[in-house]
Amino acid sequence: MNHLTAIFGHIGGTLLLLVSSVKFIGTLPRQRARFIEQCYLIGYTSLPIVTILSFFIGSVLALQSGYSMENFGAKQFIGTLVGLTMARELGPVMVAILIAGRVGSAVTAELASMKVYQEIDALTTMNIPPERMLVLPRLAAILVMMPVLAIIANLCGWYGGALVCQYTHSISVDSESYFIALKTYMKPKDIIDGLVKAEVFGFVIILVCCYIGLNTRGGPREIGASVTKAVVASLILILVLDYFVTKALLFA
Amino acid sequence: MNNTSQTIRVGLFFLLGLALAWITFESLNGGHLFKPRGYTLVAGFANLKGLKTGDEVRMAGVKVGAVQLTRLAPNRVEALLTIEPGVQIPADAVASVEQSSLLGSNYLGVTFGTPGGPLLKDGEEIKTKPTVDMSEVISQLGTLGSKLEQVIGEIGKSMGTGGEGGGIFSRIDKLVTDNGPKLTESISNLQDITAKIKNGEGSMGKLINDPKLHDELLAGVSEIKLAAADARSFMSDTKGIVADVKSGKGTLGVLLYDDATATSIKVKAKNLRELSDKINGGQGTLGKLLADDTMYRDLQGVMKKADRALDGMGDSGPITAVGVVAGALF
Amino acid sequence: MTAPAASSYTASPFVGRTFGVTVAGLNKNFGRTAVLKDINLEVKPGEIFCIMGPSGSGKTVLLKHIAGLEHATSGEVRIGEFDAADPETRNKVHLALVFQAGALFNSLSVYDNLALYPREHRQCNEAGIRERVLHALSILSLEKAANKFPSDLSGGMKKRVAIARALVMEPQLLLYDEPTSELDPVMSATLTEIIATLREQTAVTSIVVTHDRDLAFNIADRVAFMMDGRIQGVGPRADFKTPADPVIANFLNPVIDLKNPRFKQLE
Ligand SMILES: Nc1ncnc2c1ncn2[C@@H]1O[C@H](COP(=O)(O)OP(=O)(O)OP(=O)(O)O)[C@@H](O)[C@H]1O
Ligand SMILES: [Mg+2]
Repeated sequence: MNHLTAIFGHIGGTLLLLVSSVKFIGTLPRQRARFIEQCYLIGYTSLPIVTILSFFIGSVLALQSGYSMENFGAKQFIGTLVGLTMARELGPVMVAILIAGRVGSAVTAELASMKVYQEIDALTTMNIPPERMLVLPRLAAILVMMPVLAIIANLCGWYGGALVCQYTHSISVDSESYFIALKTYMKPKDIIDGLVKAEVFGFVIILVCCYIGLNTRGGPREIGASVTKAVVASLILILVLDYFVTKALLFA
Repeated sequence: MNNTSQTIRVGLFFLLGLALAWITFESLNGGHLFKPRGYTLVAGFANLKGLKTGDEVRMAGVKVGAVQLTRLAPNRVEALLTIEPGVQIPADAVASVEQSSLLGSNYLGVTFGTPGGPLLKDGEEIKTKPTVDMSEVISQLGTLGSKLEQVIGEIGKSMGTGGEGGGIFSRIDKLVTDNGPKLTESISNLQDITAKIKNGEGSMGKLINDPKLHDELLAGVSEIKLAAADARSFMSDTKGIVADVKSGKGTLGVLLYDDATATSIKVKAKNLRELSDKINGGQGTLGKLLADDTMYRDLQGVMKKADRALDGMGDSGPITAVGVVAGALF
Repeated sequence: MTAPAASSYTASPFVGRTFGVTVAGLNKNFGRTAVLKDINLEVKPGEIFCIMGPSGSGKTVLLKHIAGLEHATSGEVRIGEFDAADPETRNKVHLALVFQAGALFNSLSVYDNLALYPREHRQCNEAGIRERVLHALSILSLEKAANKFPSDLSGGMKKRVAIARALVMEPQLLLYDEPTSELDPVMSATLTEIIATLREQTAVTSIVVTHDRDLAFNIADRVAFMMDGRIQGVGPRADFKTPADPVIANFLNPVIDLKNPRFKQLE
């Protein structure tokens, strides 16, 4: 019962944080520098790992599906499978998981330490709402950076798959027919659905990580505890939301 | 980190994302992200058969455009086609929905029409031909059936009345009673086999129980029509054969009216039993066909090839068809 | 870097009025422990009010209530006519709090720490901000530290940056939590002069929590003595030079007795 009320409390607190951050949307042009800094930290610095990871996810996907589709002679559809899976599911989800681990944890750690070392209190007494200065630029930055990362992840995954198909002896589907298969069944909506998912995941991750960071209480040990909590909550939310967002997008 | 270099990097990064998104959409849409280039034609159908937005429009197997939109109109469905600029489609060209793969992806095939004739212009409607319909096939099969019945009736008449030495049936009767026990065994073996087929084991079973194959067979309807024509000529041949049988000519005649052959059949029935045992055990070609599904897969492969060949045939005319079939099969 | 520098400190015109603080029947419990017990105080506008008392007596908690960072279990704190606990009050009263531990923004340089407030509130252009920030830094001899980050500063420097940051805010109510605890004697004297000068120029109300007797007995209009979450006594600074209350007297003028040390008496 206590846990339940606590969870409701957190959900409510997160939504309130969202409302009180969005309230300051008009100040965004003034916070250009902060926004760009966050774009840099969230997007630009995540580029290498997103590239590497999605490349290998695509490769493994091609390898596995090549192995299993061989059994019923559907090898020519590997491109379709890898393409759609990357665009609709693995691209956005893997980027979101990376962002949760790489950016979400950093956000929580930073805000939690600001809270523990009274920087948040200092901001409050200076009448600078932390939501405006700390949360809003991050939310805006993730909304701008997430689609970029997701598109890059898609393309890297597709090319990873193509390379594996072409150069793995047991598969040997040349990349031309791989991409034809990919294109034949891929609609722009599939890509857009993936981007929408990435957008939702990124936004929720940052929001939750900010909330947990700002609500840290205690000393330095609690900073660590908050980071753990934030990453776990983000991962759970990604997968739970994944189901519902996918369902909503499929039947929208 | 210098502030301006950070800004520059973020800007470049974002532009990179935009460019990649643009390229992705561009290549998916066949290069029509913002405004479809080329011109638009309308094709009306009674049934689109699963043709959908983005499917290709092909002329002689070459892509000349794409389905831009499908929509319901009063009493019919319409597909809006975007035809690439520079492709000229004569006014008497005919469009029809075709299957490009056995797994059900469609395209819209357009015939050449009369070269040099008037051309279709933007917004005009292209002539269409309904795709072959299941019900049509069934009605064809129906007429075929009634004709068969007619022929079989004639065969029956000739057998029932019989000539000297009793009717065909009395002779068969004797054959059966003589070989009774052996036949029973063979039949129980056959029952085993049919059970296997029912359960979808082996190639034959798959062939019968696999719904996908059913669809594929549908696609071969045009061949069936050809077969129907063949069947008709076969009927007339059969009539001749029946007459021959009656007069004791040919193998069947000998089989039924000659006593020496009857004794050799006893031996053959024994062989038949052995054979059915073998079949059941999966030996021999027929046995393999029934017990093992590799043949089924091979068969599917051949069908796919055949389909591709037919595809080529539809567009390139009968002269090169043989060459295409040969090329696709081997 | 003493009196002349301090007296040259001028306030910007936005400081229009000054606020008194009223604490009425304030109680604060953290869980089951009562930290503040029925506090009643009246700080007049423009007053320099010092709060003294032993460590752990609840001075910081009281200051946080005035700044609106803690919410009372019962009772209330008012700044002028406004409720200190109401977030809206911060839009009406410009207050600054010098945290005991500094609470500098670790991700910002010293310069940016000071410039943050005027920038966020768009008080003047970057040139004006620069002038204000550099002036505040020079008052506290921090010119050389302008581009350093808080983690590279000594404890006393951090405290000075915290004070400078409060000065740049040009507030109507200034709350100091032990501002001189980490400063050298000269710096302490400078700060004492600054507090007095500011009050003269802008009539800002200052509440100073401090253990520094020199500061309290030189510039405080009144002094409150806190003990174990209660106000033990309030009065003009002269009253505390020779306090009647033996507890207060013992706290303010402890006798160092090496033959019979205090920690041995406790055993
Ligand atoms: N957040 C908190 N949770 C629980 N107890 C607290 C909290 N903050 C302060 N306390 C307790 O309240 C009491 C008063 O603390 P406070 O910080 O006000 O002391 P202080 O008078 O400022 O002491 P010092 O002169 O050492 O700064 C202490 O016993 C402390 O343990
Ligand atoms: Mg304290």
